[in-house]
Amino acid sequence: MANLVTSLCCVVLAAVVVAYAQRRSQLVARNQYERMGSDVTMQCGSLDNDASVSWKVNGTDVKAQHRLEGPRLVLNEVDLGHNGLYSCFQNPHGERRDTIYLHIGIPPRDPTVTCRSNTYPKGFYCSWHQLHPTYIPTTFEVDVQHNQRSLEVQKDPDHKNRCRVRFPEVFSSYPYKVNVTAVNALGKASTTISFEESSIVKPDPPERVTATPIRFNARRLEVSWQSPATWPDIDNFPLKYFLRYRPLIREQWQHVELSDSTSHTITDAYAGKEYIIQVAAKDTEIGTWSDWSVAVHATPWIEDPLPITSTTEVDFPTETKTSPIPSSNAPQKAEPPVGRAARLLTFFSPLLLGMLLLFM
Amino acid sequence: MQRSRVRPHPAALCCMSFPLSLTPFMSSALTYLGPPFNEKDFSPPRPNSTALSLPSAATRLELWHGLENQARLAQNQKAYSVLLAAVRELARSTLCPALKTSLLHFCTGLDGLLGSISALMTTLGYALPPPSANMEMRPTMNDFAKKVEGFWILRELQSWLWRSAKDFNRLKKRLRG
Repeated sequence: MANLVTSLCCVVLAAVVVAYAQRRSQLVARNQYERMGSDVTMQCGSLDNDASVSWKVNGTDVKAQHRLEGPRLVLNEVDLGHNGLYSCFQNPHGERRDTIYLHIGIPPRDPTVTCRSNTYPKGFYCSWHQLHPTYIPTTFEVDVQHNQRSLEVQKDPDHKNRCRVRFPEVFSSYPYKVNVTAVNALGKASTTISFEESSIVKPDPPERVTATPIRFNARRLEVSWQSPATWPDIDNFPLKYFLRYRPLIREQWQHVELSDSTSHTITDAYAGKEYIIQVAAKDTEIGTWSDWSVAVHATPWIEDPLPITSTTEVDFPTETKTSPIPSSNAPQKAEPPVGRAARLLTFFSPLLLGMLLLFM
Repeated sequence: MQRSRVRPHPAALCCMSFPLSLTPFMSSALTYLGPPFNEKDFSPPRPNSTALSLPSAATRLELWHGLENQARLAQNQKAYSVLLAAVRELARSTLCPALKTSLLHFCTGLDGLLGSISALMTTLGYALPPPSANMEMRPTMNDFAKKVEGFWILRELQSWLWRSAKDFNRLKKRLRG
């Protein structure tokens, strides 16, 4: 008797578990990825061909053009508007039999890949992007080969779609081959690029560029800068620099190339004119020039036209400022020469007035 | 072996800064070799003949950093000895007169460079390595194989010129400091 009861209990328990599992599988949506523009068929669970079902998308009726074929829903020429959570219910009682999350997208196209070394000779990085969106999750696999060996690739923690590789050796004659494959549920596409170590070297721009006027020198500006912080070994892999400067009022740049020096004195500046100055860097032997540094504005020292008495010893503020964009028009200095002269004038104006009155 | 106390004349080190640029020369050499050598990204497998005899400029970064002055100079000296002989052979076997002239002219530069390196080694008291035996009789190669070998000789030469610039910069700093 006890055995019978136990067996019955087990059977009932099993039935409950099965029923629950069935209900659960209906509630857990499965993903279906389909190509844009195609006709899509969604199957309601594992029902027979003669089953009759009704469909809802995101809880409402399916408004898009469609037809029903037994347990199947067919959508024509799908686009992004067809995305949604589709549920099917078996007639006549309306039990939910399946839930499908439909994602419309396109297969990946060949990605565009570029590689660069701004941390030479430590390593390089490769970036890629897709020219056209795929609308569905797409992952990228990267493979780097050198002299018939595969190199270890690390995802860049700070940049999306970028990876880093250490140079296995320096001064190599063998090219590097980088293959990037874009993969999503609808297909894959890949691009391979090949390059030599020397051709991808491009430092970051020089940093902390400063330009200061030199007292009593109306035509000089002292420019100095630092090598980019990302360049790891400036002693053994020195950089050469390219300086360009022009007065704001002019379009043409003056150029100076410098090796082994992080400062330069401009000696042919137009007196009293505001200048814009930029610096670029390059490895002394290989690679390409960096982008231009942040632009620096400066005006050479101007001789004060008015006599200065001992009580009005004005400290000329150094006229240096960095700006993100080389704008030619914004006057942003702390104490422009006009302002300084104006201050002196306001001091002397009572005197001038007095003198004018005398002559009237 | 005791290092010589004699400081090399700064001029000797100055000569090490390279007026020898291979780039313009490389493109005309590749044009002469013809397709596919002059095509972008073309890189044939390296033949065993050059892999064995031609010392590679490539090295692991830590090893390059750690090279002692003598070893650094010796590697350069050995490389340019082999390269000079190889480029001379290329010049000899070239049929194009313009390229032959360019190659021979380049050999003069390489010869001068080799002389400077040897002189510097002697000044510093380093023994010069014995001249390597003449290249063994090479198996007869077809025209294409010869071109591939020529391609790799020029490529390795390019790498060595670039590496030497960095080698001498490091030597300058170590000898001054």
